[in-house]
Amino acid sequence: MSEYFFELLTEEIPAWMHDTAAGTLTQRLSKLVEELGGEAGGVCVNTTPRRIAFMLANLPDREADREIEVKGPPKKAAYDASGNPTQALNGFLKKNNAAIADVIDAGDYVMLRKQITGRGVDEIVREQIPQIIESIRWPKMMRWGKGEFSYIRPIHSVISLFDGRHAPLTIFGVASGTTTTGHRTLAPQKIEISSYNDYVTKLELARVVVDAVRRRHVMAERARILGNEVGGTPSIEASIWSQWQYLTEYPGVVRAEFRPEYLALPEEVLVTVMRVHQKQLPIRDAAGKLTSSFLAVLDNEGDPLGNAAYGNSFVTNARFADAKFFYETDRKRKLADRVEQLEHLQFQEKLGNYAEKSKRIERIVRELGGDEDALTAARLCKTDLVTEMVKEFTDLQGQIGGIYAREEGYPEAVWQAIYDQYKPASLEDSTPRTISGALVSLADRIDTLAGFFSIGAKPTGSKDPFALRRAAQGIVLILLKYKTLNVGIDRLIKLADGNDDLLVFFAERVKTILEQSFAYDEVAAAMEAGWATSLTDLANRVEALHAVREDANFLSILDSAKRIANITAGHDATTVSAAKLEHDTEKRLNELADVVASHIDDMIAERRYREALESFAALAPELEKFFDDVMVMVDDETVRRNRMSLLRKVGNAVMKIADVTKIVVDRRDYK
Amino acid sequence: MSRVTFQSLILTLQNFWAERGCLIETPLDLEVGAGTMHPATFLRVLGPEPWNVGYVQPSRRPADGRYGDNPFRLGKHYQFQVILKPSPLEVQELYLDSLRAIGLDLTKHDIRFEEDNWESPTLGAWGVGWQILLDGMEITQFTYFQQAGGIDLAPISAEITYGLERLTMFLSRKASVFDIEWTDGVAYGPVRHQDEFEFSKYYFEVADIDLHWKLLDAYESEARRCLDTKLVLPAYDFTLKCSHVFNTLDARGAISVTERVGVIKRVRDLAVRCAQQYLASREELGFPLGRADV
Repeated sequence: MSEYFFELLTEEIPAWMHDTAAGTLTQRLSKLVEELGGEAGGVCVNTTPRRIAFMLANLPDREADREIEVKGPPKKAAYDASGNPTQALNGFLKKNNAAIADVIDAGDYVMLRKQITGRGVDEIVREQIPQIIESIRWPKMMRWGKGEFSYIRPIHSVISLFDGRHAPLTIFGVASGTTTTGHRTLAPQKIEISSYNDYVTKLELARVVVDAVRRRHVMAERARILGNEVGGTPSIEASIWSQWQYLTEYPGVVRAEFRPEYLALPEEVLVTVMRVHQKQLPIRDAAGKLTSSFLAVLDNEGDPLGNAAYGNSFVTNARFADAKFFYETDRKRKLADRVEQLEHLQFQEKLGNYAEKSKRIERIVRELGGDEDALTAARLCKTDLVTEMVKEFTDLQGQIGGIYAREEGYPEAVWQAIYDQYKPASLEDSTPRTISGALVSLADRIDTLAGFFSIGAKPTGSKDPFALRRAAQGIVLILLKYKTLNVGIDRLIKLADGNDDLLVFFAERVKTILEQSFAYDEVAAAMEAGWATSLTDLANRVEALHAVREDANFLSILDSAKRIANITAGHDATTVSAAKLEHDTEKRLNELADVVASHIDDMIAERRYREALESFAALAPELEKFFDDVMVMVDDETVRRNRMSLLRKVGNAVMKIADVTKIVVDRRDYK
Repeated sequence: MSRVTFQSLILTLQNFWAERGCLIETPLDLEVGAGTMHPATFLRVLGPEPWNVGYVQPSRRPADGRYGDNPFRLGKHYQFQVILKPSPLEVQELYLDSLRAIGLDLTKHDIRFEEDNWESPTLGAWGVGWQILLDGMEITQFTYFQQAGGIDLAPISAEITYGLERLTMFLSRKASVFDIEWTDGVAYGPVRHQDEFEFSKYYFEVADIDLHWKLLDAYESEARRCLDTKLVLPAYDFTLKCSHVFNTLDARGAISVTERVGVIKRVRDLAVRCAQQYLASREELGFPLGRADV
């Protein structure tokens, strides 16, 4: 068993790219290791800002020997009329270093069976690794020097070791060796490496912690201690780590202070500046209030001279000074006085300005039954786009409007609606707090969607520059949450003059969201029975279906529905002529179908979908008897069609809830 | 750390880069928003000729003016600009050495290179690189130029842009840019504050909008005329004048969103033509500075 170790020393790779790149690399290396006959679990990838390193453990020394079959020319071309090998066959044999005796019969073709001796794994690794490394597709590539290569950053050195011995290879013209360097400023000397363990140990001495997870743990612990020292707690969101752990090679943290006077600024502004712009962590006191202390990363063991504390304070104070300037400038002008300014702010070239958009939002909110507060919020919701604060901190749009509205004394229903208008920003995000917020958010998004679809700017493939998928997703989430709104997607689209493409687009979003909680076949079955008029109703039906599929009698629902669907394929009529029914069994089924159908309708009206599905199950024995006693496919067309209509009628009773035939079951689960 | 003044910082950087083979240029005698717009950068990064240069460039950004009220923001600040073409592999180390030359003990500070890519729509140029953070504060912009005037570059230039006021403020631990020392006994404030106030007032309140629209048209057509007569360097001067007029109109709040896109395109078209013509003219001259690609 052998170990392969590799390190690529480069220049600082953007933090946000590491996780994806390490994932891709792990995947490709695992595939390689499996092909070599090793264990995919033995792949270990580590990255630091300047390094991509990996180790492949427990590699076999050689590939397994194997036999392969090589297909040759067609028999017709391989032998001449007298059965002698032709030029074609001889050429094939020569190419494969084989003799005529090795040829085996394979139908119309000749074939060779060849013994392949497995190659040394070190040789294969040397051949494959450069390809794997060089072909990583980084989101933003660059060239350097003479400009002949394109990669994430210039390559400085490469280590390639097979069982501790140099296994020479070349990456973008850089020949591998056995040395690297330590931390850029703390330990820049050359270091000789003999194995993965040796690498981890020696780099740690050279102030580089190779493992990102370990860097995170050290930072988290340090952050906790620094917070404690000032009686507070750093507000650590999980998302910070994907940045922090890739910003430094040494996992340092420093505490700094900003001037307490800035605490008078809106908290959202302070937090955004620190978290988003400065990648710092705010510290909160025991009561959860922001303090003037915060934490920043530090690519150093400590800050004994207070340089990093000073620098971070300096820059954060400068940022806050700007924010204060914007805040004070903004407060001189009320939101209501900014509506006019929106005429000069373009929403989209073909879709007019924000004043026009605001009017459309207001109209839709009114049509949806919004009250005065909702309408006020609709009128004002875009005014923060012309504030200095939002021009500087664009990701605070909505929130800034909400804060200013609150400070101008608008009621909670108004300012919260403005504040929450972009919620939910993702599948994980919460929906607006109030019904007015929900209405404004719905109206804004449906207007955006209808607008972009009308000018042919709908998303294609991975391209969605206007985040229309997210907008539609938001609408679905809000409608599912605010059940009492009782607005269908179809009505929303109509209110915004949207086209039919939009309905198809929404169907996809609805499916995606429901599939987070339900199986794909349950979602498909329930959507088949309709979804656009009410998502609440759809959700209830999926839930019922989900619950009932666990029941023992679900199989009878499914089998009945399937049998009906098969036999009545292409037949839509449901009107049964009672006079033409001959057998007692079919007469009884007809009567029962009417009773059950009206019962199911009653229950559907009361949204008791589960019971409705169960009462359909009750029809099963009767249906079975029908199939036993009655022949549907008779020659007399009137009789045949009448029987098919009867079956359709029975089947349709359940189709209003879901097309249960779409449910995929494993019958063994029902024993 | 020895005491650093604005002036001593400039002198140190100038000497440092001169000692490493850079030609020391002088600032461009026109209003520009950044050292990148100096022909010593924008035009010289084109084509195969090697080019290593360093220079100070006063950079005017009308919209950044704060009437001298904000301790951190200026409508005009000074950059020290370095171009190394082709970018040497050890360019980051060279940069760190320049900080050591200024007197920084890097083992006692936090230095980080955080992704910050650069793009100039008016110059049809973009690059990949970092903002360099010293103890959390951005002191330098570092860019590997990939394209200029819409032309793919090879060899690639490394651009290092030091923010001189920022760096001096930090090194001398002054809380306001106006308190830094230009040289012994002379502070930045008394030298430059009036300038900041007057130009803020001018760009935000006084600049004659009609005149500037006319200037834009006039400079643009003069640039075109120069291009048509194959005078690329004068054409580029007039392109830069257009760019500054655009910035003035923008600060004055005289450009709507729609117009903005249009004006940027006008300037970019000029810049792209200048770049193409400059490259062609150097080729015609047989690349007088030699070729780094052979």
